[in-house]
Amino acid sequence: MSDSRPSILVTGAAGGLASILVDLLTDDYRLVGVDPRSMPAGRNFPGVFHQVDYNHRKMAEIFRRNRFHAMIHLGRIRSSDDAPKAVRFQTNVVGTRHLLDLGLKHGVKNLIVFSTFHVYGAQNHNAMHIRETEPLRASQMFPELVDAVELDYTATTFMWQYRETRTCILRPVNVVGSRIRNAITQILRADICPTVMGYDPMLQFIHEEDIARALLLCLRGDKSGIYNVAGEGAIPYSKAIELAGSTAVPVPQPLISAALDIWNRLRPTPFPKHLVNYFKYPVVVSDEAFRRDFGYEPRVTTTNAVKSIKRGRE
Amino acid sequence: MTVLKLLRDKLLEVGLSEDAARRIENAPLKLNSAGFDPWGLQPEYAKVVVAAVEWLYRHYFRVETAGTGHIPQGRVLIIANHGGQVPVDGMLLGLSLLLDTQPPRIGRAMVERWSPTIPFVGTFFSRIGQVVGDPQNARDLLNNDECVLVFPEGTRGSGKLFPSRYQLQRFGTGFVRLALETKTPIVPAAIIGCEEMYPGIYHIEALAKLLKTPYFPVTPFFPLLGPLGMLPLPTKVTIRFGEPLRFEGDPDGADADIQRMVNQVKDALKREIDVGLRLRGSAIFNKAAK
Repeated sequence: MSDSRPSILVTGAAGGLASILVDLLTDDYRLVGVDPRSMPAGRNFPGVFHQVDYNHRKMAEIFRRNRFHAMIHLGRIRSSDDAPKAVRFQTNVVGTRHLLDLGLKHGVKNLIVFSTFHVYGAQNHNAMHIRETEPLRASQMFPELVDAVELDYTATTFMWQYRETRTCILRPVNVVGSRIRNAITQILRADICPTVMGYDPMLQFIHEEDIARALLLCLRGDKSGIYNVAGEGAIPYSKAIELAGSTAVPVPQPLISAALDIWNRLRPTPFPKHLVNYFKYPVVVSDEAFRRDFGYEPRVTTTNAVKSIKRGRE
Repeated sequence: MTVLKLLRDKLLEVGLSEDAARRIENAPLKLNSAGFDPWGLQPEYAKVVVAAVEWLYRHYFRVETAGTGHIPQGRVLIIANHGGQVPVDGMLLGLSLLLDTQPPRIGRAMVERWSPTIPFVGTFFSRIGQVVGDPQNARDLLNNDECVLVFPEGTRGSGKLFPSRYQLQRFGTGFVRLALETKTPIVPAAIIGCEEMYPGIYHIEALAKLLKTPYFPVTPFFPLLGPLGMLPLPTKVTIRFGEPLRFEGDPDGADADIQRMVNQVKDALKREIDVGLRLRGSAIFNKAAK
């Protein structure tokens, strides 16, 4: 049983994005998936899957037994997931550093870390096309996002400490598609969407297949760095609601907090309160650098990307 | 919702001239699949706004322009005087670039950083292509060959009282550094008539502080006449574009060097203002100025 294909470790392997990515990788690479969650019923991982915590000592054994060519670190507990802060910190921040250190120790030459555009923070004075050099302001305003920002910083610190290892930190915009279940897709899948009355920021979306292709381009490229990754164009939240086939319910600003409390009690899909500002002020990023360094070009228009969300309705 | 839609359609039918509609459609814009440009501008929305104000531009303020031929194609910084408490001057300047300039341009004003915090206002600005005043935004716009409007006096200009009308206040210097960095020609634009439409005679500082606005003006009509006092006086407006100024030098040069260039722009603008005022005569009742 000799397999000459280079092997790749994919974290967050039980997630929706991983399932799309591994389909693109499986022909050329031998895949090992890890995730603290179990693999959803009915899904087959095209390789070896381990249900394991990123900080568990079993992780080291996985690195020892496989000589990984690359690690794609998708696994992050999102702020919208129902997990205590301490658990999120342990998995996202401590876990990420642990995985990167294992990668270094075992000579993994390509490390790709999946961050998020949320790290920039939603503020009224944001520039319209945020570059990667912008300070990360999210943790200062939204304590719920501290671990997301620290994950990003942990990875960038690692990148500067070990220049001989190729490390890329990707900050994608809202990832959407029929197979994705994150905060934004769940919000837009509902038949009604709360909006803050009088605010209609521009939002960016990237289709699940475009982000998977972007990860592949990043894997095959040779540059280290921090990169925003976006889709075709930005559209207002109201337009996204319309394209997703939902109906906007404007709530006056002073009532939004109370309204979301009620909403989150009554609806199956929560609207994370700490993300409200992301629906008031634009956090639009420029992915100029990623396009230049990796030849990336989105194939799915923003219109079609957002329309694809509703196909994932249950 | 349908009532709003009916109102909008009626407004478009009554207010929007065919020429204005064509000009919006022909303006150089890079639209995405959903019909928005990278700054949030939506031509369909802009049409509604123009429909609502074109009559004011043509028949209330009777705007006349001179020197639109001086506006170069491609990237340009338009530097204008600011006055009259309420930034009607920005709106009229934007309309003159769209309606009276060949080819039509979308003027991108750099709006206050706090404006997005006011409900509806931020969205309104964004849909008509106005951009938050961040240096990175200005740089991106110019590198994208857009037409950027700057009022270097800022609220120092718009807030000055009636006796100081047309006296240029201190200019910020950022715009010259930006022009040097992006190799952008600067066109001075003198706006005559806007500094009398709200003749501010006093500022109530306590109210401004309370409302968190830069100033709270009192005019002979406001707040005395209530909402009626908010109507601008029907002054005759002329907008004069001067010859483009092109500077070369180090965008990171010493303040003194940059200040010299700023003064050149200020002098050129002052000259256009003086010519405009001389040609105009009375602020409200007058014949055309050429």
